Amino acid sequence: MKPKRRRKRVTKSVACELASHAPEGAEIQRYNLRERLIHWTVATSFLYLLLSGLALYSPRLYWISSLLGGGTNTRIWHPYAGVVFFLAVSIMTVNWRRCLWLYPEDWEWMRYTWSYITHGEEGVPESGRFNAGQKTLFWMQALSGLALLLSGVVLWFPDKFSWEGLGTEPQPYSPGASSPGLAGILTHEVFAIVSMGCITVHLYMGLFATPGALRAMVEGKVTEAWARTHHARWYKRVMGISL
Amino acid sequence: MPLELKALSATNYPTRGIRETPRVCKLIDVSTCIGCKACEVACQEWNDTPVAETYPYTGSYQTMPDLAHNFWNLIKFREAERDGNLHWTMAKYQCMHCEDPGCLRACPAPGAIVQYTNGIVDFVQENCIGCQFCIMGCPFNVPKLSPRSQKVYKCTLCSDRVAVGLEPACIKACPTGCLQFGTKRQMLERALKRVKQLRAQGFSQASVYNPPGVSGTHAIYVLPFGNRPEDYGLPRDPSVPWVVSLWKGPMKTVGSALLLGGVLAAGLHYLKFGPQRVERKD
Repeated sequence: MKPKRRRKRVTKSVACELASHAPEGAEIQRYNLRERLIHWTVATSFLYLLLSGLALYSPRLYWISSLLGGGTNTRIWHPYAGVVFFLAVSIMTVNWRRCLWLYPEDWEWMRYTWSYITHGEEGVPESGRFNAGQKTLFWMQALSGLALLLSGVVLWFPDKFSWEGLGTEPQPYSPGASSPGLAGILTHEVFAIVSMGCITVHLYMGLFATPGALRAMVEGKVTEAWARTHHARWYKRVMGISL
Repeated sequence: MPLELKALSATNYPTRGIRETPRVCKLIDVSTCIGCKACEVACQEWNDTPVAETYPYTGSYQTMPDLAHNFWNLIKFREAERDGNLHWTMAKYQCMHCEDPGCLRACPAPGAIVQYTNGIVDFVQENCIGCQFCIMGCPFNVPKLSPRSQKVYKCTLCSDRVAVGLEPACIKACPTGCLQFGTKRQMLERALKRVKQLRAQGFSQASVYNPPGVSGTHAIYVLPFGNRPEDYGLPRDPSVPWVVSLWKGPMKTVGSALLLGGVLAAGLHYLKFGPQRVERKD
């Protein structure tokens, strides 16, 4: 039993580099079922967090709460969705830590970011399974997620946090950000804006700017041409073409 | 003197009613408080908020360590040393009914906190979603969450009594005239007169507590030692927390602009550069 387990783990560690070797002209597996399942768990919880968060963020968007069962339901479920989101992102981070790590070639890629955005003539370096832009976006989202979780816990249980510590006699507040909850609100809002900015880019890239990307995340497969165009180094590795 | 809306929490459209009502005010003359707690009892009676919890004796005459969701009116008993003498002060504490209420500004639920034109700030529990942002927004640490209903409660300044021309229950119960109720102007006049008397009696620091940081309050104090409001359990210079002002003001504008700008930029990019099509094999 034990050696078998060990072997499986080895395979897993290179899972992100691995896709089934496909014959020329066929389709390539880009995301396996597990990766897609985790992605859509993250996506679903994010969507709920986005809608419920926006309802609580702005009076102009409070009407969204009626789609989610009213303001009280929105307030109750938002933090639970946050926990689901954070756990799913954590699993995603562990699974993809290797393909998402920023290597020297990624820093090189970043010098061509503008060229990438404008579909410029200047040759953007070939990218691995994820390009440096995707990686940066991921880490911004993941770090925002961590900040949102930490500040969110303070907002979830505001009475459990005080600068003075638990159990002290409540003193009249001094003006300013004297309650940890206020620091929590500020942090939560700043990182929510960062996170919403990131998701705008991600949704645009995934749904509009890169045809085939959505299908990759739904069906798990991409065409060879797609792989060659967007992730040439990954494509070569998968196909066993030496670099 | 009906209740007319002045401001609603989390509401962008105008809410102000058509009638002009006088602005009301409660005056608490600390120098004549004898600590009898009649106001506490009257508050409990009128608002029907029995206190179930008991607290171990802490060496103070104070009924409760702090205000509670079912205890909106507390006389703070405090000992303070001034000029080498021990002073025992009693000061009634409750919602201050700020002219610029931090709770109302922080609240995300439309209509959960209302401000009437007469100055009363009231919580409407049926609209409350229990997020507790009001607790963080209050510079006086007044609103309290009920663990049972998960809604927030505080002194209503007996808005139900005031609406039909009665004075708040605590005022009615006060035996010494320490608590008075009337229009804000009347109460300020009386407070200033009382301060003058106290100064003549040797309380050179006597002053009116009507904190400007929240644009004044609809519960004001006469403090014999006005230079030391902390001795009475009152914050020195309360104001709406800057975080609340920032969060509900510029941050909302900047944040929305950034997000809308991002969406617009994406649309523009699509029109100008279009999608990245896959390269055909040569």
